[in-house]
Amino acid sequence: MPEIDIDPTTRIEGHHGITLQVNEDGVVEEAKSKMEMFRGAEIVTLGRPPSDAPQLTGMVCGVCFLCHRLCSSKAAEDAAMNAGVFDGPPPNAVLLRDAAEGIFYLWNHAVHLFALVGPDYSDAVADTGFERLDPLEGDGYLSAMEQQRGVMKALAEFGGRAPHPVSYIPGGMATKPDHATIQSVKSRVAEVSEWLGPTEAVPEVIENVQNGEFDPSIGEGLHDIVSILVAAAQAGAADIGEGPGRYYSNGIFEQPDTGERFFKRGVYRGGSVEELTKEEIVAGIHEDTAYSWYTEDSSGAPTEAGPPEPDPDKEDAYSWGKAPRFEGQSMEVGPLARLVISDMDPFDLRANLGGGAAESNTLNRLIARAQEALLVRDQVLAWLDAIDPSQPFMADDWTDDFTGKGVGLFEPSRGTLSHYMDVENGEIERYQIITPTIWNLGPRDADGGPSILEEAVVGDQVETLENPLSVMRTIRSMDPCLACAVHVQTPDGTLELDVEPVVPEGLEGGRCDV
Amino acid sequence: MATRRNFLRLVGTTAAGGVITQYSSDIARALQQATDGPKEVVWFQGQSCTGCTISTLQAEYPTLEEALSAFRLAVTFHPTIMAEAGQPAIDSMSTDPDILIVEGSIPTDIPEAATIGHRTAEEWVTELAPNADLVVAVGNCACFGGWPAAENRRRVHGLGPNVTGAQGLQFEHREKGGVLGGEFASGLDLPVVNLSGCPPNPDYVLLTLATVLNGHVPELDRYQRPKPFYEPLVHDNCMHRGEFDRGEFAEKPGDPGCLIKTGCKGPYTNCDDQERLWNDGTSVCLNVSAPCIGCMEPAFWDRFSPFREEIEDSPVLGNVSATQAGAAGVVAAAAGIGAHMGRKAMGYGKFEDENSAEPEEEAD
Repeated sequence: MPEIDIDPTTRIEGHHGITLQVNEDGVVEEAKSKMEMFRGAEIVTLGRPPSDAPQLTGMVCGVCFLCHRLCSSKAAEDAAMNAGVFDGPPPNAVLLRDAAEGIFYLWNHAVHLFALVGPDYSDAVADTGFERLDPLEGDGYLSAMEQQRGVMKALAEFGGRAPHPVSYIPGGMATKPDHATIQSVKSRVAEVSEWLGPTEAVPEVIENVQNGEFDPSIGEGLHDIVSILVAAAQAGAADIGEGPGRYYSNGIFEQPDTGERFFKRGVYRGGSVEELTKEEIVAGIHEDTAYSWYTEDSSGAPTEAGPPEPDPDKEDAYSWGKAPRFEGQSMEVGPLARLVISDMDPFDLRANLGGGAAESNTLNRLIARAQEALLVRDQVLAWLDAIDPSQPFMADDWTDDFTGKGVGLFEPSRGTLSHYMDVENGEIERYQIITPTIWNLGPRDADGGPSILEEAVVGDQVETLENPLSVMRTIRSMDPCLACAVHVQTPDGTLELDVEPVVPEGLEGGRCDV
Repeated sequence: MATRRNFLRLVGTTAAGGVITQYSSDIARALQQATDGPKEVVWFQGQSCTGCTISTLQAEYPTLEEALSAFRLAVTFHPTIMAEAGQPAIDSMSTDPDILIVEGSIPTDIPEAATIGHRTAEEWVTELAPNADLVVAVGNCACFGGWPAAENRRRVHGLGPNVTGAQGLQFEHREKGGVLGGEFASGLDLPVVNLSGCPPNPDYVLLTLATVLNGHVPELDRYQRPKPFYEPLVHDNCMHRGEFDRGEFAEKPGDPGCLIKTGCKGPYTNCDDQERLWNDGTSVCLNVSAPCIGCMEPAFWDRFSPFREEIEDSPVLGNVSATQAGAAGVVAAAAGIGAHMGRKAMGYGKFEDENSAEPEEEAD
């Protein structure tokens, strides 16, 4: 059975590879998703005060820079509240953090759709006729790059800079944005919103795109995003990358007074939604390390297990990621998970194009990301308006000096995130992080159960051994990024063939040995 | 127009963000030169968070995609950008690039902690660097070890203070050495050019490349950082400096006043961001009342953690503490001496003997 070894998959936030076992018909029979970087994030937080954790873990990722900082702050605040020394961040801080995360959703979704998955559906790469999506050259691509800078400027108004902002801290916000600053953020968001176009224009834009028409007056960005979806639908993306149809979301965009969230918290499995409490979610999570380069002792409940102990020579291990499971089950996370759990399918796009609103497939992941960008865009100005600059942004009673345990549940754009922090006498004694990517792209669990990606590519037909584009499209739909050198080897390794799955015409400046 | 020698100094010392606009044609021309010759660029990632790439994506004059468009045939590897251009990855990577840019630290005790294409980052970097004309370390991790080299304070699992042995290219924290060794020199006979920061300002990256492509030799400080960017002291140009001079201090985050008592590391940190600003002149850390975290400095993390605590045992200004100096500064200000002269008049203190702060005669 030929083995296809893709390394690097090169996700935007790190090192990743995947190994596929393909049968004689070119159908994937088994996949191993390999995370290839370890830094020791949890280990280096130990022995430091709780308010240092958001600083350290916030810099764990320069793409999801805001999310870890906020999630870690929530964990620290939860620990302090459980210790009885803190009453919680002021409503303004809750509102501002969520509004900033909403703006971050716009940034991340735009970058992902245009720069990471978009090229797969561009004319240059896939002969789709959508030249605007062509990487580095298409007008749509270039315009999106310009817009992402605008979104980052909005974030810099609150954070001082983007990426890696510094003003979000346990207890609230170091910054006290005045009315003018909030207005400035709003006008920057409005500019991006204008580029995107009105949500209600979606049906008309779909018609335009199908007819090969482009009408920027009803949304330049929208036309390009819809182009990606139309091209993906035509490429059969609804029939590949089928996951188990189990989803998990921590929920986000919270009303400080009612605690109600715009995106719901819970899981979806067996065809129905279960809204869950924080306690129920935390109690259900377990991490395995059977196939991870960590000792067996590093497995367990994230509320109990110590920081992971590296074991790079471990037999059968193939990933630096752990295998998180909810009540023993793998769970897909991300925009599709959120919209399924919140029962949202604007314009019935997933129902009509993706084979069902709750179906887990490569097309639906793209559609959900696009739908969510619009849903959040339509709320974010109101979230900003809810902030009252005359009220405090920072709690008076925040202190690092306590003993307690806390959990931060957060829902960044890529999916579910949780941080776990134990503090003794003002110093962190235990820390755990479970990222969205290890839910989707982690390794097998102790029972040999595959992760979402490992399951999703099985059964898909590889076009040719030299060009497993469908597999690449599925990987990318989960928000890793693009460039791949594929080494196809026969079992005895005598044939090695170097393949580039995606070579846009006119851009093939590098050497390719195919 | 800027001369070859002073180009970088000029763009670094002229005030504020408009500088880049002013010299954008110089920069564009410099980048354009990359397409004239067989110049090849490899942007390699070790233990990185991609924040430096994302930061560079925020550059406006020129934008990264404009620069890449100029580099189009020359960038043989960038794990993020080449993807969009559809370039072959490993197999297209130039093995003797004209310019090697490294983002992220290199693990040396657990080399398997960062692999690309079944090879360790250490193998890649030690192979590529000696063949490159210019080696640039982008970000604190590639310069000094940065985040992955933060101390394992509890020494858990019998691991040492540096969990994976993460090193910068030519430094580990403030010690010269690193993965390439202290004696390393690239084809242009330059040491690794360090653009520290978590992340560095995007201007630093593109201006440094423009400088070198224009044939300039960047003037470097002891940590091998281009002086124009890393000479100014954050504290001198801070918007809260007047509050410091008047002795008005915030007692906790969110309070008005100078942030030194809430842990600001501005007096120990050198970069020109207070004037240059971030995200096309939008803001900077201290302008949103967030204390400086010292991210531009070697040994960032353990030198400055806990971040919310004032560094009490290390006088900022001579033999007095920062807050005492602030009170004394009132006198200097009243005498009509500016903040900078105030510092000079007090005698320039040292954070430690190895502090990166330049002697005062070079600070002007």
